[in-house]
Amino acid sequence: MPRWGMVIDLDKCTACQACTVACRSENNVTFQGPEGTAKGRAMFWREVLAEVDGEFPKVTAHFLPRPCMHCDNPPCVQVCPVGATYKREDGVVLQHYEQCIGCRYCMVACPYNARFFNWEKPEFPETMAQYQNPNPKVKPRPVGVVEKCTFCFQRIEKGILPACAQTCTGNATFFGDLDDPDSRVSQLAKSPRAFRLLEDLGTNPKVYYLKEG
Amino acid sequence: MERLSLTIEEERALLPLYRTRPRYFLFTGVLAALVLWALYVWVSQQLRFGLTVTGMNTPAYWGIYIVNFVFFVGLSAGGIVVASLAHALGVERYRPIGRIAELVAISCIILATMFITIDVGRPDRLYRLFLHGRWQSPLIWDVSIITVYLVLAVAMGYFATRIDIVKCMKAMPGRAQLYKLLAFGYTDVSQKAVQRDRKILKTLAFIAIPSAVMLHSITAWLLGLIKATPGWHTALLAPLFIGSALVSGLALVIVAVALCRYFFQLDVKAEVITSLGKLLTFAIPVLGYLLFAELLTVMYAGEPAPKAFFMEMIKGRYAPVFWFDLVAGLIIPFIILVLPRLARSVPAVTIAAGLVVVGVLAERINLVIPPLMTRSQLPYLQGFYTPTWQELSMVVGGYAVGILAFAILAKVVPLVEVESNT
Repeated sequence: MPRWGMVIDLDKCTACQACTVACRSENNVTFQGPEGTAKGRAMFWREVLAEVDGEFPKVTAHFLPRPCMHCDNPPCVQVCPVGATYKREDGVVLQHYEQCIGCRYCMVACPYNARFFNWEKPEFPETMAQYQNPNPKVKPRPVGVVEKCTFCFQRIEKGILPACAQTCTGNATFFGDLDDPDSRVSQLAKSPRAFRLLEDLGTNPKVYYLKEG
Repeated sequence: MERLSLTIEEERALLPLYRTRPRYFLFTGVLAALVLWALYVWVSQQLRFGLTVTGMNTPAYWGIYIVNFVFFVGLSAGGIVVASLAHALGVERYRPIGRIAELVAISCIILATMFITIDVGRPDRLYRLFLHGRWQSPLIWDVSIITVYLVLAVAMGYFATRIDIVKCMKAMPGRAQLYKLLAFGYTDVSQKAVQRDRKILKTLAFIAIPSAVMLHSITAWLLGLIKATPGWHTALLAPLFIGSALVSGLALVIVAVALCRYFFQLDVKAEVITSLGKLLTFAIPVLGYLLFAELLTVMYAGEPAPKAFFMEMIKGRYAPVFWFDLVAGLIIPFIILVLPRLARSVPAVTIAAGLVVVGVLAERINLVIPPLMTRSQLPYLQGFYTPTWQELSMVVGGYAVGILAFAILAKVVPLVEVESNT
């Protein structure tokens, strides 16, 4: 059984957000548009977080793509009252959309803000609807349930890379089996540049980052 | 003929049941309108469009519904404590207000479950909590303890009211069927049955006190066990919840007793209310102390994550709520309650108690919302949350449900125990 993991090289990431777009079309993540975004309802299974340090002329910007961390010790799974979110044997954390009661406790428990709630029925603008992924495994989620990054489980079970890793323009995203000592991800995860987000919390994320040089 | 056999005291206790003034209809009419409006909003807006009609978003995952859930769980404490004091510990002074205290506790617990129901995205799947609950989730602990607590509160209410219900059945033959139903057909008022009721009541009251401690602790743990939200993640949260539950619960019982006494001319001595006020005087500094201990620890250590939450509360967007809670919700009521002249006056004690209730609501707002705003330990958008008119309508409607239920029950069962010498 593999233990899927991801490594993101922040030195190579150009913050182009192609991963965000690829993820959106692969997984039918709802469009919120300017109105929904202004209400704070934007959904990004893989969002590129930006942090700006300092003031002009001494400004530096840092970017950090944030998928679900697929924690080995996932706080979301721990608190779910009905077992609607679960960790598979291969370490992927998934959501049963038909069991979720929409209490949003998992969202509160996730330190990475990697979970999103369907505040309304997902609607795709006509121009976008034609590009929807017809795969029934990623059909738009019903109203009132929580959804999240799935490491593209529908792709990895066919042996294809997750959409974000495949599309990454800077070759910054690596995906593979962390338990395989020969895999690229397991080697990169051992790099002295490697770190994980909020490691102190003991969540054991399976997404590693390589520090900016 | 039976009715003539009632004593004057009994007559007086039962009077509000059959004498209704026009202002009662006006009052309940307004409440009913608010309830209907909230119901309309719930069905036509929230059930139809989803939680999008609320102001909640990322990262304001929870809003005013959860604030009120936590608030009402806390408010239910006072009723149970006062009723238990009267029944289990034999504090005779509180016997006359035991009934009101029980009704307050029951209504508050029911309101708390209502607020949870409207908060979830899929109320149609709530049954899963009972059929597919995972014991590892604090939410399931809360569902369990609320169920236990509700059953206990209703059972206590039943055993403490049964004799009076039977009396009402005799006094008002027209409503005999209703009362027979309320007494579950158990209409034995022999000395033996009364003794047995008392004994059961005493046992229930002794179970109720540890259950209340668990109820408030578990509701605190619902938030406090979440390490992702530094503003909640403190071991002090459970004692803090017990403190605010006692303070707000006692205050609500004072308000309820004082208002009922005024509107229904109940036979409750002023001294009962002022002595509850005295209890409140001891509880307020405990809450103040807990808040101070938490604030000092966070500020002295200066860890960025919890400090961000406290700064938001003291100086940031939520400062008005925080300072209102501190000044109007704790300090002013405390001053009123320690000034001997004011502490003996029922209106002054009632105003102090009312301020405490509103103050604890403010505390609950600050406990639930700003920690979510400042929760992110990653670079992230600043959170914001403004409740929408739909949310506010349903909160006001929820309050109206509670007061309306109370007002209707006041016409069904006597609000003070009918003198028992049968």
